[in-house]
Amino acid sequence: MNVPPFTPTPALQGEPPSGRGSFPNSTLVGGLFSRRQIRSITDGFTGFIIKTGGIGIILCILGMCVFLVKEVIPLFQPSRATSTESISLSAPKTTSTTVLIGIDEQQELAYVLRDGSLEFVFLAGATPATQEIPSRTLVTDESVTAVTRALGKGHYLAVGTEDGRIIPVAIEFTHEFRGNDRLISPSVTVGTPIMAAPTPQPITKMAYQRTESDVRIAALLQDQHLWLTTSRTTSRPDGTAAASITQVDLTPTIPGRITALTLGSRAEILAVGTAEGNLHHLDVAEPARPVLVETTRASEQGKAITALAYLMGDRSLIVGHESGELSVWTPVREHPGTNKTHMAPIHRFAAHQSAVTDITISQRDKGFITTDTGGEIRLHHSTSEQTLLTLTPQQGGLRNTYFSPKADGLVSVTEDNRLIHYHIANPYPEITWATLFSPVWYEGYDQPKLVWQSSSGSDDFEPKFSLTPLIFGTIKGTVYAVLLAVPLAVLAAIYTAMFMHPNLRAKIKPTIEIMAALPTVVLGFLAGLWFAPVLERNFPAMTGMVLVLPLVIAVAAGFYLILPASFRHRIRPGVEALLMMPIIVAVVWGCLETNAWWESFLFDGHYKPWLESHLGLNYDQRNAVVVGVAMGFAIIPIIYSISEEALSNVPKNLIAGSLALGATRWQTLAHLVLISASPGIFSALMIGFGRAVGETMIVLMATGNTPIMDWSLFNGFRTLSANIAVEIPEAPQGGTLYRTLFLAGLLLFMATFALNTAAELIRQRLRSKYSQF
Amino acid sequence: MKLWMKHFFGSGELFIWGCGAGLSLSLLMIGGLLVLILLNGFGYFWPADLVELTLKDGKHVIGQLAGEEVSPKGIPRIRMKIGNRDLYGLDYRWINSDQIIERAKPSDLVMVERREWGNFYGRLGTLHKEDQVVAEGSDAVWQSLPPLLRHQESSETESVYTLRIVDANGKEKSVSLSQVIRVLRPNDLSTLEKLRVYIGNVWTVLTTEPREANTEGGIFPAIFGTVMMVIIMSVVVTPFGVISALYLREYARQGVIVRTVRIAVNNLAGVPSIVFGVFGLGFFVYGVGGTIDALWFSERLPTPTFGTGGILWASLTLALLTVPVVIVATEEGLAAVPREYREGSIGLGATKWETIWKVVLPTALPGILTGLILAMARAAGEVAPLMLTGVVKLAPAMPIDGTWPFLHLDRKFMHLGFHIYDVGFQSPNVEAAKPMVYVTTLVLILVVVTLNLTGIVLRNRMRRKYAGSAV
Repeated sequence: MNVPPFTPTPALQGEPPSGRGSFPNSTLVGGLFSRRQIRSITDGFTGFIIKTGGIGIILCILGMCVFLVKEVIPLFQPSRATSTESISLSAPKTTSTTVLIGIDEQQELAYVLRDGSLEFVFLAGATPATQEIPSRTLVTDESVTAVTRALGKGHYLAVGTEDGRIIPVAIEFTHEFRGNDRLISPSVTVGTPIMAAPTPQPITKMAYQRTESDVRIAALLQDQHLWLTTSRTTSRPDGTAAASITQVDLTPTIPGRITALTLGSRAEILAVGTAEGNLHHLDVAEPARPVLVETTRASEQGKAITALAYLMGDRSLIVGHESGELSVWTPVREHPGTNKTHMAPIHRFAAHQSAVTDITISQRDKGFITTDTGGEIRLHHSTSEQTLLTLTPQQGGLRNTYFSPKADGLVSVTEDNRLIHYHIANPYPEITWATLFSPVWYEGYDQPKLVWQSSSGSDDFEPKFSLTPLIFGTIKGTVYAVLLAVPLAVLAAIYTAMFMHPNLRAKIKPTIEIMAALPTVVLGFLAGLWFAPVLERNFPAMTGMVLVLPLVIAVAAGFYLILPASFRHRIRPGVEALLMMPIIVAVVWGCLETNAWWESFLFDGHYKPWLESHLGLNYDQRNAVVVGVAMGFAIIPIIYSISEEALSNVPKNLIAGSLALGATRWQTLAHLVLISASPGIFSALMIGFGRAVGETMIVLMATGNTPIMDWSLFNGFRTLSANIAVEIPEAPQGGTLYRTLFLAGLLLFMATFALNTAAELIRQRLRSKYSQF
Repeated sequence: MKLWMKHFFGSGELFIWGCGAGLSLSLLMIGGLLVLILLNGFGYFWPADLVELTLKDGKHVIGQLAGEEVSPKGIPRIRMKIGNRDLYGLDYRWINSDQIIERAKPSDLVMVERREWGNFYGRLGTLHKEDQVVAEGSDAVWQSLPPLLRHQESSETESVYTLRIVDANGKEKSVSLSQVIRVLRPNDLSTLEKLRVYIGNVWTVLTTEPREANTEGGIFPAIFGTVMMVIIMSVVVTPFGVISALYLREYARQGVIVRTVRIAVNNLAGVPSIVFGVFGLGFFVYGVGGTIDALWFSERLPTPTFGTGGILWASLTLALLTVPVVIVATEEGLAAVPREYREGSIGLGATKWETIWKVVLPTALPGILTGLILAMARAAGEVAPLMLTGVVKLAPAMPIDGTWPFLHLDRKFMHLGFHIYDVGFQSPNVEAAKPMVYVTTLVLILVVVTLNLTGIVLRNRMRRKYAGSAV
């Protein structure tokens, strides 16, 4: 209804209409506006407020979806690397053959170790400490033939020399705050040299690792002998420490020319790659007795292994080949019955164009950086099996590359002695559509699996973010709830709308409506703490009840029909439901009383072993049946109300016509009412479905919340909604888990929104159809 | 016979009975649920008689009967609430009926309500003042206790009194009188006196703070938190809902867009509450709250002030959750205002706003109120979104207190629904906590059902009043 706007005209001012609600005179108010003008302004102003406010509020409400999307999008954004200026390093005295580079946590101070001389380089934005930077020569007399770093946290380097000595070097960065400035000062500790082998020989390759008590070195010498050296420090009672050295020649156990080797970060395992593409896996936990665990052919074509590194956690091994192939291997059980494992490739990455030269692992997650001889740097993530970044800083090879301790940057030294530095934005490497919804081969699993396990006690844990088990749980809970609720609710609605006495109907409808408002936390509590134990105790009786109840109802109805007509007519029509009540109560009571009999009759005396042996099902106390009943309870009212509305809105003249033509009550229902109202009932079903999908408290309280995928009636599950409630308090803002949970929320939002919209459209069509009559 | 069969199935009478059975089953389920909650909830307050059992092995058990059943092995047994958690470790005990020689209800059995360790069931021993015995013997102590307990709060000497209580088998336990809340002899009380105790118990639960990890004491902070939150939510949701409804019904041009918006708003009511919680956490708590902290409370960072869950964010989240309810109900109310009213008003020369303000809104008020009440009922029962936006199991301080600015919107709060979840599922001693959960459930259901009934009655009345004129 559009009201024409008031435009005060002088003509009107002269002859004001009289009476209440009108404007009797045109006295100037405040000398500026006439009363009429003020009213007009007020009207326009409020109109404006309501319009903008209304639109604003509605946009805000609908903006919820946009916000959820906005929070989820970063998960799928590609990683970015921003390069900062490259820095020229001081020209080396001789052409250096060995190079190692590293950087501190804050990416402010880098160090470069070239041929035994260590140089520190400040990167942009760093505040140098007042102390002098130790830029110094660590090894003077002999030439350095090999350098390496220990895997894992900290900067522990080792320098191998021509005469077979290995010099451990530890670099530490200390940060101190002076006012608002953060000062970095590095310190360098050079350890006592250790001989890599009994006879001095140039070291060509080595792997170095240190633990609290041990220093372990695997060194390949010029004569192609591989020596494992362990220097164990034991503290004597008098407080001094003594080092004992154990040396073992590993060459006999490893055939072939060794091209790559690496020690795990706990120094308990050693992997050796050969020119023939064989991978040897050794257990070196006992220094004196290394054991060759297995030899695997890592390359079908016999391509040489050129780079090896253990991923964080030492469980999987990254293998890089001469041909540029790159794969991640992990021990996999041969078959479920044994503990015997063999190495198997679980992830393969797009191959480099040239030989892989270097692998640096992340100290934060399952990511790693590889470089090749062509000078390409790639960032990969093992779990999600994706190559996140490919960087080609310049033509020509790279000497050494290092992944920063917080996995947010990398530094590299080029052939022409320049230092290049990238900042990497790579916050969600473990998430792809595939890891969210498809099976993923996780470390320690025998095959690709769908698993949700967001956290664990250890740091090197591989998070498993598969939403599929949660979606499965959601569907499972919903299906069981709907299976219980739909028959009951629809039958009840049919009865209320079609057959019930109107007086009774006026009382029963509000009762069920109030039930719709029952807080679900109450249902969840009763389901979990009352119904679950009751069901566990009386499971056989409940099964019996399900079998007996329909039968008894049929018999009771038959009995009523064969009663003499004179007696039958004394009962008002439309009270069948009331007559049914005592019968149902009697059946329920009777079944509960005869629980023991049912147990011996149906389940040979003990139902749990019976279920286990006959159906292979394990009975959990909080299971899908409990949830189905509780959630069914929660959605019965809504399905009931909407179906009842649809049924009772079927035009009365149609029903009267049908009955007048001689159809029975049932025929009218089955052939007319049900068919016309079926879209409405269907929409009720969808709305009920939508409710059950998002229900949180009931599933949270009445299931064990274990994210397993199993249709069994007798075990629990975890739904998307319960998962959000369980996990989000521990999810740091903006983290992978946080955003994944937002994605779960978005999925729920979209699913329910779609279901409800469809239901609403069906109802509207139905209404317009009925309005024709 | 054949004819009968035909009649039986053909006429469909069987199916009608089936439908009836469906309805009765639904009703019985609802009824059973309510009876279960009412019995357990109201039963909690009743000072049940204390029973002393003499067992075959000569031992005695004192406690309250808590149920009887036939054990899985077919032996009838009874469940006793034996209390004395500090002595036995358990609150409940099963006793096989064939072990019991005698059941008695001696009048000198006492129930000592303590601040810690739950109730003690037994007999009074002696009362000490420092090292001196003040009273000895069950009756003497019983006589001397009431004045001491009455002045408990005011006197400072109360801690010098120690009460010695004896359990069923003569084991003694000393309790400082400051730890004793109340001493009762339930077996000595007449029904009328018990009724008085009963009402007192109800009052205590409704008005006192929880004890013992929420499993005992009262639920006042939870009630207060729930009410506070619902009030703040209503203050927010009413203007927003009404303005939106006014826009949709009175100002917007009715067309495809408005119809779509209406469906969308309607459907928002069906979006799971946990999604609103997620949104509230991301948008209100971290987004808006984080910004407020950065702007005005930066000196307290990194300890968040508004950047963490609190009653304001919880209320706003629930306001968002319930705004569709208010919009829909208000729209219904606006649509039900007879056309003649508006035409009359405009015909008399009122502006559009004047018509809305003076005629339409007053007439639609019952509709708006209905929407608001239904929204409040929904908000009072919702738990999932609160768990993400500021509810806690034990709030150290109320959202309103005597320190400036009196209303602390950034504080965390307690909530009846969350209390149920927390006490029932997170507490270490679920068995002992169950009665408390039933009481909380009862209170919550009473609140929700009362609100809903009011809403439904209002709505039905309004529908009847404007029947026929509805659009």
